[in-house]
Amino acid sequence: MDQLVELNNETEETVYHFQEGPEGTVIEIDDFSLWYGDKQALFNNRIDIQKGLVTALIGPSGCGKSTLLRSLNRMNDLIEGLRTGGRICLNSQNIFDKNIDVISLRKRMGMVFQKPNPFPMSIAENVTYPLKVDGVRDKNVLAETVERTLKGAALWDEVKDRLKENALGLSGGQQQRLCIARAIAAEPDVLLMDEPCSALDPLATIKIEDLINELRGKFTIVIVTHNMQQAARVSDNTAFMYLGKIIEYGKTQTVFTKPGSQKTQDYVTGRFG
Amino acid sequence: MNLLKKPVKSGESFKNTSMAARGEPALWTMGGTLALGVLMIIAFLILVVWNGIITFYPGGIEQIILNDGSMIAGEIRRSESYRPSDDILKTVNTEWKEKIRRNKGVAERTLFKTGNYDLYNEDFKWVDEFNIRERTNPENIYYFERVEWGPFIGFIEKVELGGRTDIRPENLADRLESEHEKAVERRQKIGVIEKKKISDINHSLEEERLELKRVELAEGVDSDPYREAKQAYQEKTETLMAKYKKLQDEAENLKQENSQFKLTLKEIGGQKKTLLLSEIVRFYAANQLSLLDKLGVYFSRWLEFLTAEPREANTEGGVMPAIFGTLTMTLLLVMAVAPFGVVAALYLREYAKQGHLVSVVRISVNNLAGVPSIVYGVFGLGFFAYTIGGSIDTLFYPEKLPNPTFGTGGLLWASLTLALLTVPVVIVATEEALAAVPQSLREGSLACGASKWQTIKNIVIPKALPGILTGLILAMARGAGEVAPLMLVGVVKMAPELPFDGYFPFVHLERSFMHLGFHIFDVGFQSRNAEAGKPMVFVTTLLLITLVAVMNAVSIHIRNRLNRRFSAGHF
Repeated sequence: MDQLVELNNETEETVYHFQEGPEGTVIEIDDFSLWYGDKQALFNNRIDIQKGLVTALIGPSGCGKSTLLRSLNRMNDLIEGLRTGGRICLNSQNIFDKNIDVISLRKRMGMVFQKPNPFPMSIAENVTYPLKVDGVRDKNVLAETVERTLKGAALWDEVKDRLKENALGLSGGQQQRLCIARAIAAEPDVLLMDEPCSALDPLATIKIEDLINELRGKFTIVIVTHNMQQAARVSDNTAFMYLGKIIEYGKTQTVFTKPGSQKTQDYVTGRFG
Repeated sequence: MNLLKKPVKSGESFKNTSMAARGEPALWTMGGTLALGVLMIIAFLILVVWNGIITFYPGGIEQIILNDGSMIAGEIRRSESYRPSDDILKTVNTEWKEKIRRNKGVAERTLFKTGNYDLYNEDFKWVDEFNIRERTNPENIYYFERVEWGPFIGFIEKVELGGRTDIRPENLADRLESEHEKAVERRQKIGVIEKKKISDINHSLEEERLELKRVELAEGVDSDPYREAKQAYQEKTETLMAKYKKLQDEAENLKQENSQFKLTLKEIGGQKKTLLLSEIVRFYAANQLSLLDKLGVYFSRWLEFLTAEPREANTEGGVMPAIFGTLTMTLLLVMAVAPFGVVAALYLREYAKQGHLVSVVRISVNNLAGVPSIVYGVFGLGFFAYTIGGSIDTLFYPEKLPNPTFGTGGLLWASLTLALLTVPVVIVATEEALAAVPQSLREGSLACGASKWQTIKNIVIPKALPGILTGLILAMARGAGEVAPLMLVGVVKMAPELPFDGYFPFVHLERSFMHLGFHIFDVGFQSRNAEAGKPMVFVTTLLLITLVAVMNAVSIHIRNRLNRRFSAGHF
């Protein structure tokens, strides 16, 4: 691909044909741009993420899908020299508003990372961590949460006998499911997943995908993935991003079979990426 | 394609790559350097351990008759070759002259520990091999370790026990043994009376005096409260003085009793010396000892070394106060440096905006590690002792002035000075440990809705703890072995009191203390006789190394237990 020719895609219009969820929009990304210092990474993106559905962000490496995802719970705040433009609204509230408490924002957005990152503590402590930092000390509530979330993350049967053991002793796939359990422990509005299967083997990947299918409806899930088949398998809506711009946002099936944009067509058919 | 240019035997397939390219010379240099370093460490350890271990083992006593007919008795210390000067050679007989000539002018000489410093004015004597007419090992020669004047080597001439001199020879050894034990017990009792009880009274007297001074400072000399206080002071002083008198009498009685048990000793040259039984630490017939007896003497000397206070300008007796001082100071040092260094590093790494200012701070911290330690001593004396300590004195102890309380070197100031000296080590190690905590863990915690402080407290610090502890261990080892700055801020040759005792507030961090490192310097280079101090140097070094090793082992053990908790578990 000759990237120089393609760089003018900031002017290109996004193709929309997304599936509307039963409860409407939960996150509204409105004309959102982002700069790392002088370098612009995201260009005027505008999509509505539907409540209760699974939305996949796909695109080649470096297209800004992780950046966009990490903007949703303001994890990018840690980076120095970062600027944003436009708005991202969670339940019609701009999360970049000066009055927003980032900590409580993150409590409403669970996040699962590329590499499993369980804390160096016991399995039970990992799951209850979000509650503990929130000040919950009631043992019954904590124990109940451990069971509920581990069951929710399809991990309960495997670890119920060793909840007090160090979480680092789990296998990679189990660790990632533990991280999902941790992310849903505080009952967030949205679950953000940043390539949750990229560090896992195929069998563990299948388990995570099954889990995502189970969580559908209970949580709004935004998942970034490299793997187009995965996006096709788990998501309701797919956004294709290229060079910091969402090219197409639509029903997953349509995106993969009859895409509205030539670039999407090229990407999903494997012409580049 | 065949990589081999020509068929070769197995194992030579890579002959064509040049040696330099394969890194062979580099490998040999690196390996050789490491081997050299290890060799030096091993040699050092062997030197210290061997000399430290043999020092307390009792040797036999040899009696020498010299060519001029005079006699010497003593323990053999060591032999060496030397080149006698012409003046000396003139006095040598022809047979030996020939021998030395054939030996290219080199002769042997032996160092004897003769003891009897009070009679000879020396503890050691070199004896040339050509000057010896006869050597024997007399059966009944004794080695006495005395409370004062060092060892005495000689024969027992007369025994007087409880005023009686008619003791049958077959009972003599047992009687001596048991009476010696009793006499030592009495000596220790006198010690308790003089040290503990009388110092109790002195302490109370001082308290009363200070109380009166306090009233004087508050009310003035010309006031009723002062006159009342003065009255009370005089009464209390009288009672205390009466008690003091009683104790003195008690001690006097014991001394009187001790004076009835004495030995008259004769050294090899015939000079006599009368010695109280209570003045003897231990004695043995050096040439009659079985292996078991020797081991008994050996271990009793170690026990004394580890538990007793020093005697004889530190060249004899124990080093208990120095062990105690070293341990306490190291503990205080760690307690001071840990929070200080860790908190500073936390701010520097986690909160401070990484820019020029932080770089400058970081470079300065690193440079602090290169400042000569004596400079820290000067700073500690000037800042801690004179400035801070002086202010404390004027604020809280005005009645003791002009005698300083905190305004001079002491345990607290020494610990703080060393804490300052070792703080760069802790900061650097902590910063590295914090930097090594994976970003993914921090992000995971933040994504859970934890604040930055909660993330640091719950995730970062526990994960970095083993690394932080490594820094503390390094700091501790550095601090425990440091001597130079201590000489300025509180270490003394001989501390009259330990920093802990029975008087309120029980912990006296303002007191000066003894330290093993300084003890080595003092014994080896400041004592009246370097030869006498030399073995003690090795024993004390061995002890200091052991102490540091034990402290390190304990902290490494603690760290490893934490490590197991926070790293991937293997169940």
